[in-house]
Amino acid sequence: MNVKTALAKTYIVIVILFIYLPVFFLVLLSFKSGASVTFPIREITLDWYIAEPSAYRHGSEWVSVMYDKRFFEAFINSTDVSTASALLTCFIVTATALALRHRVRGRDLLFYLILLGFIVPGVTLGLGIVFLYRWLGWEFSFWTPVITNVIYATPFGLVLLMARFEPKLMEYERAASTLKASPWKVFRHVTLSLIIWEVVSAGLYGFVLAWSEVVRTQFVMRGAGVLSTYILTELGVRALTPKWYAVGTIVSTISIVALLIFGWVLSRRTAVKR
Amino acid sequence: MSRRGAFISKYSSYLMLLPGLMLCILFLIMPFGLMIIISLHEKLSAAKMILSGFTFENYAKFFARSVSYTLLANTLGNSLLACAICFVVGYPFAYFLTFYVKNEKIKSYVISLLIVPFLIDWSVRMIAWIPILGEGGIINYFLMSLKIIQKPIKILFSLTSLQILWLQTYVLFMMFPIYLALNRIDPDLIDAARVLKAPPYRVFYDVIFKLSLPGVICGWIFVFVGTLGDHITPLFIGGGIQTLGLSVADYAGAFLWPYAAALSTILVVVAMAVLYILLKIVNIKELIYER
Repeated sequence: MNVKTALAKTYIVIVILFIYLPVFFLVLLSFKSGASVTFPIREITLDWYIAEPSAYRHGSEWVSVMYDKRFFEAFINSTDVSTASALLTCFIVTATALALRHRVRGRDLLFYLILLGFIVPGVTLGLGIVFLYRWLGWEFSFWTPVITNVIYATPFGLVLLMARFEPKLMEYERAASTLKASPWKVFRHVTLSLIIWEVVSAGLYGFVLAWSEVVRTQFVMRGAGVLSTYILTELGVRALTPKWYAVGTIVSTISIVALLIFGWVLSRRTAVKR
Repeated sequence: MSRRGAFISKYSSYLMLLPGLMLCILFLIMPFGLMIIISLHEKLSAAKMILSGFTFENYAKFFARSVSYTLLANTLGNSLLACAICFVVGYPFAYFLTFYVKNEKIKSYVISLLIVPFLIDWSVRMIAWIPILGEGGIINYFLMSLKIIQKPIKILFSLTSLQILWLQTYVLFMMFPIYLALNRIDPDLIDAARVLKAPPYRVFYDVIFKLSLPGVICGWIFVFVGTLGDHITPLFIGGGIQTLGLSVADYAGAFLWPYAAALSTILVVVAMAVLYILLKIVNIKELIYER
């Protein structure tokens, strides 16, 4: 029994290490001196993060992350797009999840329809939205990547929210309306206060998904684009240097911080419940 | 509840469904409808969206080429292989986590640990593998300094590296639903099987595995649709592997809209067909709202 348990736990640890392997090398390579991304690493440097642009030390032309204007442009775009996606996902997921609890007509159909946003291959959705915008004569705007991300994030959020609903939520609501609370008051003081953390976590989920998504966003970006499309296009035209590992480290740190908040919110939710 | 209250709650339910419904119709159904329409035309002038020449030519062209069948087989084969690999790695993980880790807190930490790498940007995750698998990467560096090999072996830009990347990215999608399904199994059922002297493999297969099947199917669906629609990873790391998703992006990039639309439609039909088969095995709704 003990040997079995030990083996089982070792397996778990090995799989986790495998999943973290690229993360480890991402951070490691971002500190490497010299333009190539090969081993061995002889010297450690912060140049890729903060060196002044005049520096021509690593044998190829480059600008450190700190001085890369397009990076910051894309960074701000990404923040805006992800925040808007988060809020919109929050709103749509909450409304839909609350409504789907009732046996409304066409419930299954709508549920499958929303799930479709996840199931439709990314390429297809991206291209389809390009067609739609052309057909309607709309220009790509800030809202195009937002909508694309919301379509993608809503199914996740919905499943997350519905799976974690307080089982007695409807009974509490019924009790409140029997006691003559207005529908708005029921929503505000009973429903929302009971599901608020699930709603917040669905929103964070939307943020994080929009932050790293590229397959769909790639089709609908404009200008400098968001971070994911910026990195993708830059990698297509520039040499692969540790700078991109530095960019990756910074970008990933942000989504990991967002996830830590997500985890904190979920643990808070369980704490409140008990 | 009074009848009036019931009426209001029903009425407001429909109202609350409206945003989700509109989002789906406008940005999911309409793009796809347009795609089918465009795929049935000969020419599309990109600037003004003027369609001309109704035809089935695009589909006929696809099915007339023998390359297309290789493409279809490649696409399906790669995605199903990714599903199988993720399943082989993910099922034991979910199983061990459920039955061998007793501490609930550690369980939830492990689960949240798994999500982190998934949050890393797509292209960043791809370049992160280069110092590991590349010709100057850590694997080749070690093997060469230990004098096991003389010349660096080529792992990157091949089917192997594509599957390794997909495993790392999508294994979470396989583990998570299986883990949820395993956790939902009543421990008494397992005990009952043991008490009735079922051999261990039958306890596993007839009780645990069969009850976790909805999670398994769910995982297969997630990994399948994820890899099917992902054209970026094969493009960067696949080393010239052609998939249907990649072709769609190629033709769209060359502004051959109708043909790209036709390929895209075929991709969706293929995805739906496989999903239909998988969903025949299990009812996905059961996992979510009809417990």
